Amino acid sequence: MSDKLSRRDFLKLAGVGAVTTAILTGCGPASRLVKREPYLQMPEYTYNGLSTYYATTCRECAAGCGLIIRTSQGRALKTEGNANNPLNLGKTCARGQATLQGLYNPNRVRGPIKHTRGERLYDTATDPFNDDFADAKSNMDWAAATQTVADALKNNKPEEIAFLMGMAPDHLFDLVTDLANATGIQSPVRFGALSMFESRATLSKASENLFGQTGLPLFDVGGAQVVFSFGANFLETWLSPVSYTRGFSALREAQTKQRGKFVQFESRMSSTAGKADEWMPLRPGTEAMVALAIGRLVSEIRGIPVPRAFSDIDPLDAASKSGIKLEMLNHLAEMFANSTGALAIPGGAALGQSNGLAVAEAVLALNAVVNNFGKPGGVFFSALAPNQTEYQGPASAKEVGEFVQKMIDGKIKVLFVHGVNPFFELPISLQFGGATKNIPQIISFATFPDETALEADYIFPDHHGLESWGYQRVATGSVGSVLSGAQPVVSPFYDTRATADVLIAAAQLAGGKFAAALPFKDEVEFLHSKVTPLINEADGFFSAPDVNTFMAYFQQFGGWWKTTDGRSIPNSADVLNRSLSSAEAEFAGEGEFFFVPFVSPTLAEAGANKPWLQELPDPTTTVMWNTWVEMNPVTAEELGLEDDDLVSITSEAGVLEVPVYRYPAIRPDTIAIPFGQGHTAYGRYAEKRGVNPTDLIGQNFNEAGDLAFAGMKVKIKKIGKKKPLSRLESIMGVYGVGLGEEK
Amino acid sequence: MAIELKVSEVKMGEAYVGKWGMVIDQDMCTGCQACVAACAMENNLSFVGETDSGYGRSMHWIRIERFWEGSYPEVKMTPNQPMLCQQCGAATCEPVCPAFATVHSQAEQLNLQVYNRCVGTRYCANNCPYQVRSFNWRDYKRPEPLPNQLNPDVTVRRRGVMEKCTFCIQRIHKAQDKAKSEGREVVDGEFTTACAQACPASAITFGRVDNPDSLVSQLARVHGHGVKHLEELGTLPNVTYFKGG
Amino acid sequence: MIKRFFDWLKKPLGLIAVGITFLALFSLAAYGISLSQQPPAQPVQFPHRIHIGFGIQCLYCHPGAAKGPSAGIPAEARCWGCHNQIVKTQTSLLLKPLKDSVISGKPLQWVPVAQVPDFVQFNHRAHIAAGQNCENCHGDMSKMTVAENPQIFNMGFCLKCHTKVAGENHDLLVKLTDCGTCHY
Repeated sequence: MSDKLSRRDFLKLAGVGAVTTAILTGCGPASRLVKREPYLQMPEYTYNGLSTYYATTCRECAAGCGLIIRTSQGRALKTEGNANNPLNLGKTCARGQATLQGLYNPNRVRGPIKHTRGERLYDTATDPFNDDFADAKSNMDWAAATQTVADALKNNKPEEIAFLMGMAPDHLFDLVTDLANATGIQSPVRFGALSMFESRATLSKASENLFGQTGLPLFDVGGAQVVFSFGANFLETWLSPVSYTRGFSALREAQTKQRGKFVQFESRMSSTAGKADEWMPLRPGTEAMVALAIGRLVSEIRGIPVPRAFSDIDPLDAASKSGIKLEMLNHLAEMFANSTGALAIPGGAALGQSNGLAVAEAVLALNAVVNNFGKPGGVFFSALAPNQTEYQGPASAKEVGEFVQKMIDGKIKVLFVHGVNPFFELPISLQFGGATKNIPQIISFATFPDETALEADYIFPDHHGLESWGYQRVATGSVGSVLSGAQPVVSPFYDTRATADVLIAAAQLAGGKFAAALPFKDEVEFLHSKVTPLINEADGFFSAPDVNTFMAYFQQFGGWWKTTDGRSIPNSADVLNRSLSSAEAEFAGEGEFFFVPFVSPTLAEAGANKPWLQELPDPTTTVMWNTWVEMNPVTAEELGLEDDDLVSITSEAGVLEVPVYRYPAIRPDTIAIPFGQGHTAYGRYAEKRGVNPTDLIGQNFNEAGDLAFAGMKVKIKKIGKKKPLSRLESIMGVYGVGLGEEK
Repeated sequence: MAIELKVSEVKMGEAYVGKWGMVIDQDMCTGCQACVAACAMENNLSFVGETDSGYGRSMHWIRIERFWEGSYPEVKMTPNQPMLCQQCGAATCEPVCPAFATVHSQAEQLNLQVYNRCVGTRYCANNCPYQVRSFNWRDYKRPEPLPNQLNPDVTVRRRGVMEKCTFCIQRIHKAQDKAKSEGREVVDGEFTTACAQACPASAITFGRVDNPDSLVSQLARVHGHGVKHLEELGTLPNVTYFKGG
Repeated sequence: MIKRFFDWLKKPLGLIAVGITFLALFSLAAYGISLSQQPPAQPVQFPHRIHIGFGIQCLYCHPGAAKGPSAGIPAEARCWGCHNQIVKTQTSLLLKPLKDSVISGKPLQWVPVAQVPDFVQFNHRAHIAAGQNCENCHGDMSKMTVAENPQIFNMGFCLKCHTKVAGENHDLLVKLTDCGTCHY
């Protein structure tokens, strides 16, 4: 047709078209279709168009940062940090910012569901922009749901009832603990993938061995002059990233003091190591050796007799085994010895090896040479939270393994799961999935349709964190003792119900000792019973003459905290007189490559269902929306691999197919895969995207019971296919190298 | 109406003082992406999905650049560099827009993007030396109920429209409006941009550069060795970087 | 093919077809324009005239105008505060929707009349503070039954006033005619 259409005709037709369009649309009052619903009763202090702000606590990880949520007309609009909360002082991380995308996520469990294991919870289409596919419908009401929970409590022997919960030491954990203590059901097991990757149990165990006290050490990065970090990725996800990032910022501050130096020891340059002045790519497994060698050299430089802790190490031997030159070790030791504020931090992958406990002890001992305990820029014990008497760490992987064994042995008849997604977060090798087949009844309280909810018999969805009441104890990161408070900032979007309310109601229904254990009207009354005793405590951020005022302030300020220093000083008297092991780590499996799984700094364990977290470029590789394997370019060349080439990676536990990202800052004998993707459920943005590196992790533990997740060797094979990765840097650097065909 | 070209008035270097400005301490920036997420949440940025982001169509108004120096084992990651619209005093994007959709705000000394004027020629993006403009290649849909979190103070852009960092102009207006209603001037530090507010390392500071007592001006003075990117092009950027280290 | 179509248009039948098409488009346009001039159907035939006649100030029901960007539609509790004391409320057919809404707890769905497009950020507070009266833009409500929009809120309407207000004050003119004052 086009060849017959003359220019003149075209103009005529176009003219007619334009006039028609103008007449039909230009005058059409399309905007009149808008309808506005006023409030029936305007809430107090509210004006149309003006925002209301509520203080609450971030539930995206277990750190417990305070948030202020901007709301307008009953909708949550923006997350900001709570400037009053001493943990984060008004700051947030990317995951905290994206918490609203969880609240308004298109895939949430919308009401209580009786469910057949394995049955899908939403349509499987994966187009992120399509909103035509729906979540599974709720098929029971809350009265029936509560009755189900009550029956589960009543009709089973108490010791056969178990709770698996998230890492956060929150009010629900306290409620279940109270219930367990009063009725004899199993004490709740708290676990999360982050506690595994952070090696919390190892840190606590090392503290117990060296200082005679369990607990999480607090490292005052901000006050230090020289920081040596052995694998601790404290600027990404480790323990309390916002608080540690504040510390780092203070370390780097150069106007009022000397700019602090930072050295990171790890085989792959994480985004934390990227900020270091020196990155020491040591051979995995030699961290303890290097720490002890530096300790020996430091004592020599300082002219003190070499303590027993460092007497067995030969720096030359350590240098040759670790791949760090002796001159460099000397240089580092001088840096450490000559500083007035030297600090050494153990953490992350360095502890997730067979000798992890020895690494933690060796690095903590390094602090003893410069005796920085309890001093600015030194090591402390974290302040215990206000209503806490002793450190309550999450379960180690080994303890979870024992829990799984109980499941396999049929000793658990009912399993309640809240705040954790073991089907995704636990390595397959721990066999959680298979063990659930021996459990007659699994009840999930999942907010999102995650992998564990998919394998449950009932899903009784909890509110999203921004719709719920609660409090959370701050485990580490603040100077003072902090209890972060949570309150609903919007009314529940769906027919969800607070798990605490369900448990309280079910306990009343079950009667007997259950009803006696939880004698509360609802969650809020339980919260009051836990929080109001603080009214009598000294040194609070606020004080109140009566309980109601106290609770009003608690909500207004977003919690309660002490204004005094609550940290305690580790007893370091005996540290250097101990004999410390310098043994190298043992690596499980055959293969020529060390395997380092690390937590994606932007996604972490639960961020994959938030589309904007998916679209945040990874800080080091700038990859979005997928998983990659990092490989040194030299290694890649030897294997004949280019970017985006799929490889299969085989460990003793499993096989994965991942596209290659040639990463210039990784040891040639090491590969690394981020953890965070690889979901088989969990909503349209998470599902069928990337792989889960925990599939490769075998069942090997260190002496503290943490999983030796970084203690594996793997084989790599080229597959011959490509999976193009989306990355931000392609448009910034090499123009034209985008996705696929341009190349 | 006659168009006044004020090219002759544009002065190079020291003589130019803008109004709103930013200093970014690259030594403190950890590359954690909190600013990127905060910006997306504040300014109703669309996410574009894996394929389109692979084509470089992602809509980040701020991004964190990192480059590599050397090769293993002497490889170094250069200090993270948050890159956003530099709100140039003499912006190269402005003169090329045939629709006058990207104009200079005389009142706030910012580069504006007027969405309702934009016809999508993308000349401005081609002419921006900082590559900070992003284009709406499609109507990126937000499935229900995600639109509930949209910020009512910021226009939701549609297909065919260019967009970029505005220095959170909605916050500037809000603060000015509040100050005016209380009969005073805006106080330094009273408000800040979404990125600066979120930044856990406090690497970003925002404020009035024409006020010598503001924190941005003080920081610029104390550091003394701030860098303005591609200054040699004569763009007169309003963002100053400290490399540190 | 196009050529044949144009040839056909020149024949009598074609001319008639053109005429009919033109008439159809014209009447559609006229209908469209007339639609845009009518106030839209509202759930309640709210007589502004009577309420203003009682001496009720605009800001009593629309207090947001003095506080922030949006004037707002009053909450039904505001209506009910007076109306539950008025006998007529119980009997009047016109007030039945309000009564039903308060009893059932389902808010009325009003159709906004004075609107600006999404890409315009309008702030009532600044205009009230600058001494503008409501009727300068919204017309004299004491003469209206159901709210009508006497002005078409286009950019010319805004700028006409903004330039007039600024007068000789150059700084104010710059501020009031800056694109970024309304569009962001």
